[in-house]
Amino acid sequence: MKIDLGPVTRIEGHLNVRTTVENGVVTDAQCMSEMFRGFEVFLQGRDPLDAQQITQRICGVCPYAHAIASSYAQEKAYKLNVPPNGRILHNLIQGANHLYDYLLHFYQLSALDFVDVTAILSYTGRDADLLKVKQWVKAELDRNKPFPAAPFLPRLEGKYLADRDLNIGALKHYLEAMELQKKANRAAAIFGGKFPHSTGIFPGGCTQEARIDLIVAYQSLLSEVRQFIHDKYIPDVTAVAMAFPEYWRIGASKGGFLSFGLLPLTPALDSKRLLAPGVLFDGQVSPVDLAKISQDVKYSKYSSPSRLPVRDSALTPAPHKEGAYSWAKAPRYAGKVVEVGPAARILIDYQQGHNPMVRDLVNKFAALAGITTANLNSVLGRHLARAINAAVIADFLLAETERLEHGGPTMANLAVPQSGEGYGITEASRGALLHYLRMENQKIAKYECVVPTTWNASPRDDQGQPGAMESALIGTRVENAEEQIESVRIVHSFDPCIACAVH
Amino acid sequence: MLDRRNFLKMAAALSAAFGVQGMPAPVAAALKKLDPGAVPKLIYLQGLSCTGCSISLLQAESPSPLAMITDYSQLAFHADLSAISGKKALDLIERYISGNAGEYFLAVEGAIPEKIPEACLIGHKTFAQYLEEAAKTMTGAVAVGACACDGGIPAAEGNLTGAIGLKEFYGKRGIKKLIVNIRGCSVHPDWVWHTIIHLVKVGVPELVNDAPKLFYSRKVHELCPRYHDFQQEIFAKKLGDKGCLFKLGCLGPDTYADCPTRWWNGGRTWCIDSNAPCIGCASPTFARKKNIPFYRINEKPVTNG
Ligand code: SF4
Ligand code: SF4
Repeated sequence: MKIDLGPVTRIEGHLNVRTTVENGVVTDAQCMSEMFRGFEVFLQGRDPLDAQQITQRICGVCPYAHAIASSYAQEKAYKLNVPPNGRILHNLIQGANHLYDYLLHFYQLSALDFVDVTAILSYTGRDADLLKVKQWVKAELDRNKPFPAAPFLPRLEGKYLADRDLNIGALKHYLEAMELQKKANRAAAIFGGKFPHSTGIFPGGCTQEARIDLIVAYQSLLSEVRQFIHDKYIPDVTAVAMAFPEYWRIGASKGGFLSFGLLPLTPALDSKRLLAPGVLFDGQVSPVDLAKISQDVKYSKYSSPSRLPVRDSALTPAPHKEGAYSWAKAPRYAGKVVEVGPAARILIDYQQGHNPMVRDLVNKFAALAGITTANLNSVLGRHLARAINAAVIADFLLAETERLEHGGPTMANLAVPQSGEGYGITEASRGALLHYLRMENQKIAKYECVVPTTWNASPRDDQGQPGAMESALIGTRVENAEEQIESVRIVHSFDPCIACAVH
Repeated sequence: MLDRRNFLKMAAALSAAFGVQGMPAPVAAALKKLDPGAVPKLIYLQGLSCTGCSISLLQAESPSPLAMITDYSQLAFHADLSAISGKKALDLIERYISGNAGEYFLAVEGAIPEKIPEACLIGHKTFAQYLEEAAKTMTGAVAVGACACDGGIPAAEGNLTGAIGLKEFYGKRGIKKLIVNIRGCSVHPDWVWHTIIHLVKVGVPELVNDAPKLFYSRKVHELCPRYHDFQQEIFAKKLGDKGCLFKLGCLGPDTYADCPTRWWNGGRTWCIDSNAPCIGCASPTFARKKNIPFYRINEKPVTNG
């Protein structure tokens, strides 16, 4: 039987997942991205300096990652010399944005998959926030109205956390995370100008000064966020993992992994990064070769040619194309399926023995949960990997603030040549992000973005290979075929963003 | 000296004095929550959007986002927050839109792809179909952000979807309904939440260009703390400089919004305070034309003769 899981909520954007279920097992899954805007087309002919602004509007959840990828691409195309402060501020802005995104994902987007909100009704403590929520939920349920306690109820059927105190603790942290995500964004906006959609990020740095009062304000906000990560976020992820250990084995994608590496350690873009880049197949990491990326469109709603490499990409919409089921293209690395995102970043870094903090945290949690690194390719693996990313990034950002030169230049001298090209690669919170820019006559001749969820939520490629998320869904055992909370948990673990995937 | 026992007694007396009964009437009124029955239900639908406006709404300070969706409005559906998904979510939306779940306001984020309606689906219907059906039952609509108001980035010159804003979409279909436009890419959370508070507690706010006068009656330029630099001709010459950003392309002179007095992200910062030119994100023509770039950095110097 065919069941549509869409609209999938608590993600960004318009996703349907069409599943086929036989004898309680998902035997097929199609990820259908259902929104198209066509950024690469309307970017053509614009001033290249518009790009880091326009491309941020691909995604309002991770706009800073797009601003950074676009800035990197422009820095290459303009051959800019970036001052140390410029790169550090880029990192501070982008890194803080990662932290907000992890908190938002775990609490606001995913927690309701596991946490039982109705536990609040049995709350007997004196916490003012929880009492307020309790009274609200009670009043909602008592009143004779349609859909009481929305948007938190109704919910999918399934097994939720049973322990009352764990549930109530997690709900308290849901409320606190709402405040903490703001602090992470506020920190980023000190140098980015505002959030969402920074006006202050440019190729070569940012317009804000490296002033001590700003630096200290950033540090103070970030240290609060760091504290929350250690005191609450990581323990909550662990608690969910302990209560749902079967999810270490549910939702494994069936291909390799790709990461472009996150946060350069020096101004040069090809310098080492906090989290190392690489592509991982069968336990072996090799360096990333951008020439090996191409995008298939046999099952995507475009009539433009398939299998084009990034710099030759094309985009002709064909909404009624026979057999096509998604507006997302199907990017492949050397023709193979890869998963991108937090687990890919951790696995690829760990495998290379690169960042000692990654190594220690992975080893610690693996011992605690009785898993191996292979289990990071799972629903819980992705949640845990986000928490590890968060811990590693938070410490790095605080250390990075100490490297700022107070009063030193924060912007390169921006001169835009008539022509040039550049790739900008970084990691958005959701995974490997690539922007490609080619200019002629100081105008954009070609712009192409290959975005994390384009990889993860891709439809079949020309060879018929399912995308990473599709492959993670196929084979899943589901209790209630109509609702499939198990499949929804798998989808949520990827944190898909459809505005990104299609753009 | 106050011993511990007396202290506790006094504390108890004081807290009783400030309890609900002992409160002066205006204080009690201010603290009293709205009658939950009178709080408007919001159905929040997204079209061609980036979700940036929704994320911005979560950056609100006072009231907090949570208070906004429990005390001052009721968020019956929002794709980013609703626990429910799939068929049950569609049923919920349908019940409101068919007029069977009582009064509601529609909040719309994102543009409508007029030329390719299939470029935006919710369940098995196009976004446009939902908007047409909702027009028959909703009390009114709040267009949240540049895309919903005027098409925004998806409507940039050369786009393929024929993206337009809500007002134009309804206008073309002869539908007349109350629409409040909250411009900005993204919106400032106050612009939306305070409009909703106004709708609930006072009624429809005074509008200019369908947007609340409260936020959009004066230009960024008029309110800008660097207006003095502008008058004294103290101009930033390159990015990162202090001074008026006009010569770098600042679009503050063309943009109605109160960013210079409101500031962003909890009042911590805003574009021009970080030396970043205003790119006119609250303007109805935001990003529309290729020949009007955000910055005047690549402008060819004008040659004489
Ligand atoms: S910085 Fe912009 S808004 Fe401010 S005075 Fe100058 S031109 Fe006007
Ligand atoms: S100052 Fe200009 S660009 Fe910045 S938020 Fe306000 S209107 Fe938008």
